[in-house]
Formats: sequence, C-alpha cells, structure tokens
Amino acid sequence: MAFEATDRHELRSKLEEYATTGDKVLRDEIVASQVGLAEYLARRFKNRGEPIEDLIQVALLGLLKAVERFDPSRGLEFSTFATPTIVGELKRHFRDKGWAVRVPRRVQELHLRMGTVVNNLSQELGRSPTIPEIAQRAEVSVDEVLEAMEAGRAYRFTSIDAPAGDDDDRAPSPAAAQLGEDDTGLEEVEQRMLLSPLIDSLPKREQMIIHLRFFRGMTQSEIAARLGISQMHVSRLLARSLAQLRDRAGAEAAPG
Amino acid sequence: MVGEDHEQELRGDELGRGGDVRLVVPAAPEYLRLVRLTAAGLASRLGFTFDEVEDLRIAVDELCFQLLGEVNGDGGSIEPRTMDLVYSAGDDSITITGRTGMSGDVPAPSDLSEQILDALVDEHEVSGGDGMITFRLRKQRES
Repeated sequence: MAFEATDRHELRSKLEEYATTGDKVLRDEIVASQVGLAEYLARRFKNRGEPIEDLIQVALLGLLKAVERFDPSRGLEFSTFATPTIVGELKRHFRDKGWAVRVPRRVQELHLRMGTVVNNLSQELGRSPTIPEIAQRAEVSVDEVLEAMEAGRAYRFTSIDAPAGDDDDRAPSPAAAQLGEDDTGLEEVEQRMLLSPLIDSLPKREQMIIHLRFFRGMTQSEIAARLGISQMHVSRLLARSLAQLRDRAGAEAAPG
Repeated sequence: MVGEDHEQELRGDELGRGGDVRLVVPAAPEYLRLVRLTAAGLASRLGFTFDEVEDLRIAVDELCFQLLGEVNGDGGSIEPRTMDLVYSAGDDSITITGRTGMSGDVPAPSDLSEQILDALVDEHEVSGGDGMITFRLRKQRES
C-alpha cells in the first residue's frame, strides 16, 4: 500500500478539508481512493467461510468509518489509522454474523463455493445452469447442491433490528454507487414500493433487488450481473429480505 | 399424518402418474424447509435451471407461509393441523397442489405476496371455505 508522496499529500489535504467541511461528496471521493486498502485487508480474511464480496462490503464500511473518524490534527498517517478500524470491522463481522442456524461445515463451504460455480457456468453456458450441471462442476451430488441452496436461508446478515438503510446505503461499493445513477432510479422504486410500506424498511440495495425481481421480472442471474454481485449473493439477499418482511408484517399484525 | 383414511384415499387417487410426490407435514414454519426441498428436488430432476429452481422454492414457501396463517397466533385454541401437498411432474412443468384445514375465511394475500407469486410462477391460486383451503401453483420450465 505504498503511495506516491504526491498522492499522500493530496489525501492528507482532502482529509483535512473533509474534517472541517464534512462534505459528503469529498468523503466518497476519499473512500473511493482508498478502496484498494479495504480490499487488501478483506482478502486477508478470506478462506474463513465468508464470501469475499461480503468481506469487501464490510471492509468498505470500516473504511468509511475511518474516514469519518480520522482526526488529521493528530498527525497520524491515514492508513495507520484506518487499518485497525477496518480490521476491527471485519473481526466484528465474524463475531456477530455467520450461520444463524447450525449448518454443517461442508454444506456451508459448498454454499459459498457455489457462488463461483454458478457464476462461471452461467457465463460459459449463456444461461442459468441446471442443478446436475452445478453438481458435476462442483463434484458433489445433486442432493448436496439442493442442501447448499437451502443453506442460504440459514445465513444471518445484519440484525433484523438494524435500521433501514444501514450498511448498504452508505457503503460506497460499485453496486451501491450504481443504484443512485442507474436508469431504473430509486425514485421509481419508491413509487412502486407504495404497494408495501414495509419494503421501505429494507436497506436500499435489497429494495432494489426486490423491485428488479418481483416488479421488473428480471431473473436472479440478470440481477446479479447488473449489480455486479454473485447470484448466490442475490439469492441470500432475497431470502433475507423476504424473511424480514415477514417478521415485520407479523409484528404489525400482532395486537398491542 | 391425519388419521382420516377416507381423505387419504381420495388424495391417493391424485397421485396418478409415476413421478408424483406427496408430502404431508405439520402446518408449521419449521416444516417449510421440507416443502421447499421437495419442490427443488423434483424441479432439478426435470432439468429446471438454478434460476427456476430458486423461483419455485421461493414461491411455494411464500404461498404456504400465508396459509400457516393463525397457527402461531393467540396460542389459545390452536388445533394441530397438517398441510398436504402433491407435487406433479409434467413434461416441462411442475404443479403443486395442496390443502390444509383452516377455520375462518381464506386469508387475503397481501398485494406484495401476489406480486411475488406473479413474478415467480406461471399460475397460482388459493381457494376454499368450509374449513378447508386448497391451493395450486404451476411453474413451467423455460427451455
């Protein structure tokens, strides 16, 4: 993570400016310039049974926090300050999140491995693969693939009580950045979502996925390609969104 | 399993062709996993793609979840009831029909639920009365 002196100087002056102005555009610019650091640290946590794309999201959130909390007057290098913040966020992720229901390790591993397998096969075949095709490529049985698909539902993400628009809203990931500018436009999403005010309570990216799948009729693989994430990730997010909607609908319906 | 032989017989007739699967489970959320897995298993045998299997799993889960309805409600007068499903494999489609007992009216599905099912499967309907709800959904394989 060596920076040229000029880059370092530029980063420092941007951080100083952000500390005084709190300009969100500037903040995002700083975050974008440091994505490499977040990715580098996220990769150090791979092979622990979490998809790398999830880890990068977590690391980016840590990076964002670091930018917001950095105090230039203390004279620290930004990377010196940001590294423990990002690593802390990643460690917290492993502590807090993971498999809510006990899922055997081999099923967890296959579930996570299938992300790559499904993506690769989809690209090679130009269509969504069949289950036997996935099984063959992953060198497991069809039943094991089915079990691994089911395991996505046992995967816990952010807390159900997390406020709307938590992480996903702010994480400056390529996917999240795309949401605001894309032609589908969140405005339209918001209009459609009047159908169910409950959906408002979901993070923006999940609102988008629900919109694209159920209102636009895009397939999971199309959504995955569009948002630049794996189809398994889309699948998990859909499962999570629907579960949260149910919980909230249940809570609203319950008397008292 | 319900202990009503007569009904069992009737349902047995619906298992007309080979390849059909019947599943009877308690009408409780923790059994939806079996409902989904059975759907996914049959769909994969028919050559449904990953996308299509995912859709079918979500759809059958969504529909059945609605019909669990008040089962976990007040906690007072809950009768244990079952959900009885028949999965029929066509050449390039799967039809899932099911029935479950329910006192009171057929629950009106939310707009969102309708929207979800519309997007995921080719046909879906819920009907009933007299303490019995029946439902049906069908998904066609694309290619």
